[in-house]
Amino acid sequence: MSSGAATNRTAHGVTVPPPSLLARAVPAFSGTTGLVVKLVLLGIANAIGLWAIVGLLGNENWIAALCVLAATLGIDAVYLLPVRGLVPAKFLVPATVFLIGFQLIPIVYNADVAFSNWSTGHNLTKEEAIQTIEETSLAQPANGAFYTMTPARDESGNLTLLLVEEGSGKAYAGNEEGLTPLPATDVTVANGAVTAAQGYDVLTGDELAGIDEQLARLVVPAGGNSFVRAEGLSTALELQPTLRYDPQTDTFTNIETGVVYSDNGKGAYADPQGQEIDQGWRTNIGFANFRDIFRNPLVRDPFLSTFVWTFTYALLSVVLTFFAGLFIAIALNYDGLRFQRLQRSILILPYAIPAFLSLLVWRGLLNDDFGVVNAILPVDVPWLFDPFWARVSCLLVNFWLGIPYMFLICTGALQSIPGEMVEAARVDGASGLQVFRKITLPLLLVAVTPLLIASFAFNFNNFNAIYFLTEGGPYGENQSVAGATDLLVSYTYKVAFQTGRGGDFGLAAALSILIFLIIGTISAVTFIRTKALESIA
Amino acid sequence: MLSTKTAARTLVALVVASLAAIALTATASGADATTIRIWTDKDRLAAVTKVANAWAASKGATIEVVQKDFGQIRDNLKTVQAETAPDVIVGAHDWIGELSANGSIVPLFPSTATKKQFPAYALDAFSYGTAIKKLYGAPVALENIALVTNTKLAKVPTTWAQLQASALSTKKKTKAAVAISVQQGAGGDAYHMYPLFSGLCGYIFGKNAAGNLDPSNIGIANPKFMKNAGLIDQWNKLGLIRSSVDSSISQDLFLKGKTAFWFTGPWNLDTLKKSGLSFSVSSFPTIGGTGCKSVPFLGVQGFMVTKFAASHNVESLAKDLVSNYMMQTGPQLELALSNGRFPANLTAAKQVKDPQLKAFGAASTGGVPMPNIPQMNSVWGDLGAAWVRSTKGSGSIPAKRSFLGASRSIAQKIG
Repeated sequence: MSSGAATNRTAHGVTVPPPSLLARAVPAFSGTTGLVVKLVLLGIANAIGLWAIVGLLGNENWIAALCVLAATLGIDAVYLLPVRGLVPAKFLVPATVFLIGFQLIPIVYNADVAFSNWSTGHNLTKEEAIQTIEETSLAQPANGAFYTMTPARDESGNLTLLLVEEGSGKAYAGNEEGLTPLPATDVTVANGAVTAAQGYDVLTGDELAGIDEQLARLVVPAGGNSFVRAEGLSTALELQPTLRYDPQTDTFTNIETGVVYSDNGKGAYADPQGQEIDQGWRTNIGFANFRDIFRNPLVRDPFLSTFVWTFTYALLSVVLTFFAGLFIAIALNYDGLRFQRLQRSILILPYAIPAFLSLLVWRGLLNDDFGVVNAILPVDVPWLFDPFWARVSCLLVNFWLGIPYMFLICTGALQSIPGEMVEAARVDGASGLQVFRKITLPLLLVAVTPLLIASFAFNFNNFNAIYFLTEGGPYGENQSVAGATDLLVSYTYKVAFQTGRGGDFGLAAALSILIFLIIGTISAVTFIRTKALESIA
Repeated sequence: MLSTKTAARTLVALVVASLAAIALTATASGADATTIRIWTDKDRLAAVTKVANAWAASKGATIEVVQKDFGQIRDNLKTVQAETAPDVIVGAHDWIGELSANGSIVPLFPSTATKKQFPAYALDAFSYGTAIKKLYGAPVALENIALVTNTKLAKVPTTWAQLQASALSTKKKTKAAVAISVQQGAGGDAYHMYPLFSGLCGYIFGKNAAGNLDPSNIGIANPKFMKNAGLIDQWNKLGLIRSSVDSSISQDLFLKGKTAFWFTGPWNLDTLKKSGLSFSVSSFPTIGGTGCKSVPFLGVQGFMVTKFAASHNVESLAKDLVSNYMMQTGPQLELALSNGRFPANLTAAKQVKDPQLKAFGAASTGGVPMPNIPQMNSVWGDLGAAWVRSTKGSGSIPAKRSFLGASRSIAQKIG
């Protein structure tokens, strides 16, 4: 059989259409080529899996490493084992991997953050927080000395700090044992710093880079609680701690006042009055964030008002754009309409212009005092500065942006409605409106409903359309974090980066989980209910 | 369908192949032990590279400069991985409170001789601590807004009454919708409105006995300001200022000669010079009858050492670069002038030649550094919104009510 012939004639002289691309590809990829491609792809997948496992084990992330190992072995099994029942799995595995990787894992991670108190001041682990607090609590004592410092090695090769005290000009050698005064005759001092000393080998230039770790660790005791430590490469100073950490009781005690700071269970050390030390740590706080959303009026009120507006906005956007788009699609569907293509092209233009650009241009056009719209209209409408009119503006602009999309999908769906049904209805004596209501619309909705649901979900989270137009909108008298036109998603963004002491990731993660549940429920319910429409066809 | 033998063979081949891949990737990673990574913004990139390399040459270290968007540096620091984290960052002084509470930056101890070369408020702006105040960064550049006057349309005013009169007469002549170009926009802009706010005796946080900012002492609706708030309603009625003016509109109005006055900062100096207008930079005149001076917010930008420097074993080197080398006159001048700002080092400041940049520096006298405590984040939005609500034109809320509401909202948020 000759392959690649334009037409095939069978023995009976009947023309057989040439095999499709898929039909020609399958034999080409079977046999050796296919095996090689399969092994290469599997090899890459295994390499990625092993690299991930090594990295995870290095970070001591046992659970994740086990999961990745199981997944990699699973993929190998599916593609290598000669079991018939696994054939469907061969087609499902790639999509499932991406679904888990890019949908499930972010959701799980988000949930993890939502149950924590990750925010400003709670960004470290507990060990890091203890270290940071100890470091920050170091202060210069009342008459603490300041030194210029030159790093050097003594006769045994140990790192020593050659110090010149500011003010008195006395020279010292400092090492782990303590400060030893150096007689003035043994040292050469230039510009207030030691440049040479008898019995010591001054480190310069390239040698300085290699001693960084030792230099940072060298602590020279200086009597009592104080010690001298190097700061940078040319200064040193006397420091003493003001907070002392007790690992047995897990508390910090202020050395001077005796106030005890203990772990308050919410990721910070606090004194009996509740005054917290600035540096806290990230810890699990259970449902506290969710409780905040439902009980704390500071969070609940913006959340509820934003939710109502978001739902209204998404619903109205979809409904208005759909009916407008449908109307235009039907109007332009008329066979024999002149300039049909030209009209269709013009109506699609708002869809072709990047939404970012359109939104910024509309923002300029709708400006109260300087925009073109108010210049043309006889009445000055406060488009973007009044809460009510800002919401109207958002709806209008989204309406303008959304009509071309609905027009396109309705045009496509209208073509798929069989003309015979409409003719039969007309023959039966149905009026135009009856034809539309009983035949066109139901058949249209069967095709278009999933797209409408997707459009609703998209507009529910339409961050750009709100943020570029009004930045969340004019703030009414009693609103602070959420403005008049803020959607749930832009409110969450503001909570994450702009509230409290610099951002609250935990609360924002909890809000985003709630948004996911809301949208998920609405979409699921709508999908299930609209199955009823399928029975018509 | 593969037979079990072939399957076993292919599995072995796979394992070998993937191990080889891992070996390759393992050798590819691992940075040089004494590399200092610096995050900086686009404008300062060249200057930072030059200054840091000049320092590194004598120390046996190498420099890696990474360009980042200025505003993203603070946010990225919260989530960056240790391997790619920076050792030195450029930043604004009002980030200090937040970064210190997150434990992201380390305190610096420059020598007394070095500290003497800086104005007290610049070092103060970079200091933070509820119990003990520590210096967390090396100040490099000062920025503040000043009054820019179009000298063809109006004389440089010495009192507020003069400013108001000239602005309004220009407005009548050019039929502009607003008399002064000061930007707000729908989201508000408390930074640009601060000279007016301070001139009416408003302040944000009071100071406690130790001289530190006290977040419980909120001065947005303090009695003196409430007395003077009526002037805001007057300005709104006259059309002196309008919240519909955003940054591009305010620039446009001034450059086209529709307004005679513009509140802006040294970042627009290039634009002003290229426009060909004859302009003059001066301080804000005092608003008569209030007893308070109109001063701008001061922003200090500088470099900080992050906690990651210690884990990368370059902490002493990084501290030397930032608290020693970058605070000397030469590097200060170079770094500040690279993006057109006034240097913080007093000796370097005397060497600035550009007269308009010097005028911006002069306008900073008496200015208030933006509060660097983390609670300041809760203030910006509300304060800006309070101005927007009272300067909308018709339909504005009386200023007293607007600012009282803002004050209450901020107090609630700070808790």
